Amino acid sequence: MTSMKLNRRTFSLMTGLGAGQLALQSLLAGSATDGRVVPHHPPTAKSVIMLFMSGGPSQVDTFDPKPELEKLAGKDVPESLAARVPKIKRAGLKNLLASPWQFSQYGECGMPVSTLLPETAKHVDKLCLIRSMSHRNPVHGPAECVALTGSGIGNRPSLGAWAIYGLGSETEQLPAFITMNLHTDGMQNPQASGWGPGFLPSRFQSTVVAPDKGIENARMPSGVSNERRQSELEALKLLNQNFYEATQVDELEARIRSYEMAFQMQTTGPELFELSGETAETQKLYAMDRDESKQVGRACLLARRMVQRGVRFVQIRVGGWDAHGNIKGNHERLAARTDAPIAGLLADLERTGLLDSTLVVWGGEFGRTPTMEGRANGRDHSPAAYSMWLAGGGVRAGHIVGETDAIGYTVLDRPVGPLDLHATILHTLGIDSEKLTFDHHGLKETPLGVSGGSVVAEVLG
Amino acid sequence: MLGRFPAFVLALAILVCANGLVQSEEWKADGFVNTRYTISGTGDRNNPLWRQLDAPFDGDELFVRMRLRYDAETLDTPVDGDGEFVVLWLDSVEGTPGSTHSAGVPNIGIHTLENENRFMIRYQSSGQKFGPVLEGDREYLVVGRIWKSKPGPDEPFDKLDLWVDPANDAENSPVASVSDSKALKIVSWIGFSTGRKTEFGDRIEVHDIATAATWHEILKLPPPAEPVEPVVPPPVVKTVAFVDDVFPLLKKHCFECHAGDDPDSGVRLDVLDEMVNQTSPRDAAASHLYQLLANGEMPPEEKQPLTKPELEVIAAWINEGMEWDETLLPTPVPQSTHWAFQPVIPPEVPQVQNTDWIRTPVDAFIAAKHEEAGLVPNPAADTATLNRRLSLDMLGLPPEQGTDPLHVDELLKNPAYGERWGRHWLDVARWAESNGHQHNRERKYAWPYRDWVINAFNSGMPFDQFLRDQIAGDVVRPFSGDHLVATGFLAAARYSGNELDKEIQRNDILSDVTNTTASAFLGLTMECAQCHTHKFDPISIRDYYKFQAFFANGQPGNAALELNPEVANAVSERWAIFDSVHARMERVKQKQGVPGPIYITPKSVVGGMKADEKAQFNALEKQIESVPQAWCFVAPEGDTEQVTVTPHDMRWPLPRHSAALSDAQTFLLIRGDVKSKGPAVTPDWPLVLGGEQSDGANTRLQLAEWMTSRENPLTARVWVNRIWQWHFGTGLVETSSDFGTQGTPPTHPELLDFLASELMQRNWDTDHIHRLILNSATYRQSNRFSLANAKIDPDNRLLWRWTPRRLEAEAIRDSILQVSGQLDRQMGGVSVAHDSPRRSVYLKQQRERLPDQQNLFDGTNAASSCSRRRTSTNALQPLWLLNDEFAQEAAGQLAQRSSNVVEAFQTALLRLPTELELEQVSQLADEHGMQSACLVILNSSEFLYLP
Repeated sequence: MTSMKLNRRTFSLMTGLGAGQLALQSLLAGSATDGRVVPHHPPTAKSVIMLFMSGGPSQVDTFDPKPELEKLAGKDVPESLAARVPKIKRAGLKNLLASPWQFSQYGECGMPVSTLLPETAKHVDKLCLIRSMSHRNPVHGPAECVALTGSGIGNRPSLGAWAIYGLGSETEQLPAFITMNLHTDGMQNPQASGWGPGFLPSRFQSTVVAPDKGIENARMPSGVSNERRQSELEALKLLNQNFYEATQVDELEARIRSYEMAFQMQTTGPELFELSGETAETQKLYAMDRDESKQVGRACLLARRMVQRGVRFVQIRVGGWDAHGNIKGNHERLAARTDAPIAGLLADLERTGLLDSTLVVWGGEFGRTPTMEGRANGRDHSPAAYSMWLAGGGVRAGHIVGETDAIGYTVLDRPVGPLDLHATILHTLGIDSEKLTFDHHGLKETPLGVSGGSVVAEVLG
Repeated sequence: MLGRFPAFVLALAILVCANGLVQSEEWKADGFVNTRYTISGTGDRNNPLWRQLDAPFDGDELFVRMRLRYDAETLDTPVDGDGEFVVLWLDSVEGTPGSTHSAGVPNIGIHTLENENRFMIRYQSSGQKFGPVLEGDREYLVVGRIWKSKPGPDEPFDKLDLWVDPANDAENSPVASVSDSKALKIVSWIGFSTGRKTEFGDRIEVHDIATAATWHEILKLPPPAEPVEPVVPPPVVKTVAFVDDVFPLLKKHCFECHAGDDPDSGVRLDVLDEMVNQTSPRDAAASHLYQLLANGEMPPEEKQPLTKPELEVIAAWINEGMEWDETLLPTPVPQSTHWAFQPVIPPEVPQVQNTDWIRTPVDAFIAAKHEEAGLVPNPAADTATLNRRLSLDMLGLPPEQGTDPLHVDELLKNPAYGERWGRHWLDVARWAESNGHQHNRERKYAWPYRDWVINAFNSGMPFDQFLRDQIAGDVVRPFSGDHLVATGFLAAARYSGNELDKEIQRNDILSDVTNTTASAFLGLTMECAQCHTHKFDPISIRDYYKFQAFFANGQPGNAALELNPEVANAVSERWAIFDSVHARMERVKQKQGVPGPIYITPKSVVGGMKADEKAQFNALEKQIESVPQAWCFVAPEGDTEQVTVTPHDMRWPLPRHSAALSDAQTFLLIRGDVKSKGPAVTPDWPLVLGGEQSDGANTRLQLAEWMTSRENPLTARVWVNRIWQWHFGTGLVETSSDFGTQGTPPTHPELLDFLASELMQRNWDTDHIHRLILNSATYRQSNRFSLANAKIDPDNRLLWRWTPRRLEAEAIRDSILQVSGQLDRQMGGVSVAHDSPRRSVYLKQQRERLPDQQNLFDGTNAASSCSRRRTSTNALQPLWLLNDEFAQEAAGQLAQRSSNVVEAFQTALLRLPTELELEQVSQLADEHGMQSACLVILNSSEFLYLP
């Protein structure tokens, strides 16, 4: 932080620009210092909604049809294919399992989607599907860190943190990065690194909110009036101004501004979560009228409201896709929770015109094996090949990237790693991941880390 | 007839061995069975052939076999339920010729399914499972198995499996399996039943009926070889020797161009580390070097290519692990002129002009730079400010109202000092009370290390002992629980979430331990060298793994803090029960055809215990829990003072066979990949710091000695710099955990060396360094801004004033509790819930579930070592300070303790309000009450900053 402070101070002394203006920028996580010069190119998206399907949805049961599986059901993975399967734990090679769902082609593009996701299927003409996602970590926790931070260790910044580090906030009245964790029951604990700041300053971390509660402490305690709060803040400003003037530490001015922001957030925060202004038709669009989907529906509607109000990065994590035992029962339950709300979100973004500037991303930390796990009609974890989709934000709609083998176990063409996807997402926001740097103990860190990644050009329109 | 096999003894008591239960010629047959044995039907339920077993059987597992042939001419194609039925049964009672041996009685035989006759098993007609189709005139070998998923004479034979003409390796893949928890518990009779579908004319031949205890016996296979648990990979047979076979080839073909300091294309082959970069471990075909040689690309055209036998030598050498001779081709000792690697030489204290300002020698070094730069240092701060600064800095709490100037010695004696400074060190140690990663299990006994650190500061423990105990406390002798607890530093590593791959799991922990030890004590960021020789620092990949090798003989776990054979026995008994149940459940899964490797969580094992096992297990657990223990890093010692490792709740525990660790070998891992093992390495410190002085038989104790030797250039510098940073907010070296070439150089190198030599000369006395700093004019300066100074040194790196900085999350919370009169000063012990009024250092530190204010105010997340807290400012912080119940409650309490605004100011800020402040805050108190006024004071920057 000191180098940043030095820059700012030197800058303000040299130019005579008020330190306050710069302090404000730092408060909003948006000043162009520390190697951040953005946008690097014209952005196609202003905001990102990440629909993170934790637990690992099965690719061969959703977006990657494999008729061969029906023929081979009950048999072992043919040797020619088995040789390609990475030698990692859990990569079972026995007893292939046919998908319990049928696939049909949808839309003008004719993208096949299984009958598991009939509502999302109606929007295929908006989707750019990547069937060739791939990495090597088969365990939920580390894999979730890989998917959202690019490394399994969990000590690097999350994608969202990098995004707001690069771009700053569009709004003063809400946090720039908001995360909602839904259905976190089950074995896959949410990984805080997935919305954490890593080595970036903590103001770049996500604010975690419960969709039904809102931003913590945004509501004043009962009995405190607006008028009283205003008086309090006036008195506080006097105290803080005295301390700032005597010491002239930038941070102290940022503190003064932070109270003004907080005051606004006391209004905008609760207002954001107040859905009574949304029509019954809209709420129905998000399937909020059904028990199984109302939680995800509410979160998706909130995501649209957040994006409308200038939130940069919204992350919705829906846990539970870990279909070890019974792929049919599990995925049907999860599809009932998510399919209609997500379709509703896509429809709503489109009709409100937000889809053009909002990138929606769907997928989990990995996919699942085409083989049966044990004897339980479920599928095990498989990071070797899995599907994700992007929509809006200038991506190439109705397009499919990559190809997997005849049973959907490994990638045949155009492997895409999580960091490639991150580079692509940041690219739509106008960020060149190689140029976005942060000085971490003297090491110039970028969102791509040591292992690197590059933009998947085929995804871009 | 089944031949005699050696008697087989099962672990649990049984009535009789399962082998040969039908050897005596005692079959009873009615008129419908001829010689050996042709069975016909009666058109009704009938038992044509039966006998008593030679002895009743209530063991855990029984195989039965028979050969069966159905005469094709008498075999009906079943239409509309017509078809065939014949079964072999095992029952506890004889019954009558017309008895139905059904309901919990294993039946193995033939029945119809839709339009086919198939092999079938069942306990009752409603739960049949079918095997292959029965063809006529064909002899089948039918094998059945009845077994108990929970062993014991009182348990049912609840599992029944079927094989038809099984392959020798089909033990774990029966063609059909059924279960019945109400099945019989003992079998005494065996026989055959026919049914209504079996006609008079049917001819069913059965013979070769036998029982056996094992798969191998029932199939008459030779006994299987005893399974050997592969602990270490079998040693590679060396066919080539480096000195005699390989070296001459390298010399002849390569070294002319690729050796020495200035090799062609920068490729140097006379150094192992560089050779490693040109090869793929134990895989000649994939090795760049070998490919070049084999393709004839190297040596270059004008030179003679390698002959086929020569190539074979190179291939064998790579495949056999690339043996190297360090005497013949030594790794060159890297020469570095980097300041931090040079010896610490006590500098002269500089002579300066501003002698009046000097209070301790520290000031002379600071003043010299001031004078060089043209800076005028600030005068001393007023007493109230200085009191607040000293108290918040040393104790993490504001001073009590009306205190006299605070004395350093008193602060050092105050137990709050250890709580404050211990927390600083806990950041570096990335200490927490859960494993982190996916399952993030609690570390119930991690807290003793926190108390050890606090006590170490409070008792003035010399830093060399502080270091030694933390990296070798388990092997310090004589044994003491206090030394052992200190290894909580190493053990604080996160426990890898890679649950199934033990090799990766262990390597992740070792990497964490290595990286943290190097950065915490030596200020070396070694992690880059994990994958490749460090790009900037003279640390090679070999140095890295040699350093890691120090830790390879240990791993984290709970350990008893006393050497008590009773505890040791309780632990081994506990594991004996656990292991036997685990083995049993594993066997069940195997029999059910679950493909290996099979993983059963400890929780499932406990759930699978029988009542008596569980009772015994729980009693032992209780006994073990009553013993003082801590989360430690333990190496098996092999001497009599063996530390007892107690159980730890972990979903996917590390292997328990700690004895295997004593000869764990460390390999250089190519690109850090645990699956790409390069040459083996022995423990040593980095070459650039004087490694390879010994025979490589170094221990962690020796590592500690080396780190705290006077010659070590890093340890003392790194420690005094941390102390400096924790006082001033920024170290003399800003990157306090990176003293390498990528770190920032010291602003005051002589001062750093002065403090480092003082530390070592005063026997590593940390308090001495505190005194030098706290009594200095540098420390006691006011925090006033000066434009003239700021123009020269805007960032105050030369310390012309005190830079106020925000308090850490813990100090914010503790200060609020203190001034509102709520703070509970109880020290030590088990961590407490986040709403406790005790000091924040005692709040439960579960990774990913840390206290709110710790996340809000830049606390550590304990994922990796945190050398310095950042300060970020955002709008969620005011929301917490204004609206959270904690803040509201504190404001209310402070209001109750203060009769007016002036008093509240004095309690919280140790000063009187200015006139304007008094006016505005009093107005607030008048209109909205004292609580409102107090909330404002608690939110003020002055209250939340180290002034």
